[in-house]
Amino acid sequence: MSTATTTPLIEAKDLTLSYGKKTALERATFAIPKGRVVGLLGHNGAGKTSLMKALVGLLPGEGELTVLGLDPRRQRGALLEQLCYIPDVAVLPRWAKVHELITLMSGLQPRFSAERARNLLKRTSVGENDKVKNLSKGMVVQVHLALIAAIDAKVMILDEPTLGLDVISRKSFYEMLIDEWCDGERSVLISTHQVEEVESLLSDVMMLDEGRLVLNISLEDMDQRFVALSHDPATAEAIAAAHPLLRYRQSGGRAAAIFDGAPPAHVAALGERIRPSLVDLFMALTRNPALHRKQA
Amino acid sequence: MHTWNDSAPIYQQLADRLAVQLLDGAPPEGEAMPSVRNLASTYLINPLTVGRALQTLVDNGLVESRRGLGMYVRPGARRRLLNSEREQFLQTEWPALRDKLKRLGIGANDLNWEEQQ
Repeated sequence: MSTATTTPLIEAKDLTLSYGKKTALERATFAIPKGRVVGLLGHNGAGKTSLMKALVGLLPGEGELTVLGLDPRRQRGALLEQLCYIPDVAVLPRWAKVHELITLMSGLQPRFSAERARNLLKRTSVGENDKVKNLSKGMVVQVHLALIAAIDAKVMILDEPTLGLDVISRKSFYEMLIDEWCDGERSVLISTHQVEEVESLLSDVMMLDEGRLVLNISLEDMDQRFVALSHDPATAEAIAAAHPLLRYRQSGGRAAAIFDGAPPAHVAALGERIRPSLVDLFMALTRNPALHRKQA
Repeated sequence: MHTWNDSAPIYQQLADRLAVQLLDGAPPEGEAMPSVRNLASTYLINPLTVGRALQTLVDNGLVESRRGLGMYVRPGARRRLLNSEREQFLQTEWPALRDKLKRLGIGANDLNWEEQQ
């Protein structure tokens, strides 16, 4: 993350998280500056939720971790006033009406603006007198986002916020996030399995594989560092001999390969350079056959 | 949701899309480009990526940044764009097309140059 000129909003150094003997996150070092949209990708059990819990002080860890300059464990109260968090198990009380939730938030959160929440809700089809139990799953998530985006904070942490939503609801969610949260100052860390959908929203990506942070890069740097080549079947052997990270098929069925760094010129000449998509890179780095062979 | 193909980085694809619109006169020369926020929202793209796309248009002499006001379409942008598109066609697309026409034995008289059938 190259543009950090001021203190990062989140900073972790050799952060290790464990449940008893099981390690959920191993010596992760990263920083999230202001104005970023960071995608946290990983297969189930890779450590995404554990990391997010640690960031909000719900899980103790070893190593160094500061969020907004605070220690999430020891200064949790002060931190939670300045941070928005939707956990993966988030629910809103089913009996409540939307305006009651606004009143509740006003009492709980010193930095919450009821006026802003009402304005955000105007983007949705939800009325203030609607009861949560009568709303669709997509609407509930939108209400949730409207409520937490009305907190005057610098960091938002979203653990799989769009899980189980249909495509229209997901789109509305992303629109609200981009329109109402991303102002160049605030940052958001978002975990998701919908890699293809969020790719264009992100400024940075962090990939976890079995508790290890295997990639932490801005999309700008990713475009330059990883080279994908689209090639004819006839050149497959020569491409394979150059040890790409991953060989795959493009959506059209044409063969392609991803390299970490530019391949030698004679290999590059065998195909045409294309954009390595985040999904393909994710597959390459978290299901690398070579890595799995090592473990076997 | 907008789909981006794997032919080029997303910022480049957005820059190309905006260039096509400029060629069609949207927005016209001398007028303001949509804001970063507006484009980010329309295309659901990270504002930093939108910034890179606009910078590409600046580098190509198509838009300019006016301090405190945002991006504006430069006078002569369409002309410049048209020239580079023509150049691109003649240099890269035409040779391939010509080879194909030759292979198929199609001459100028076999082609319908009017739009209607």
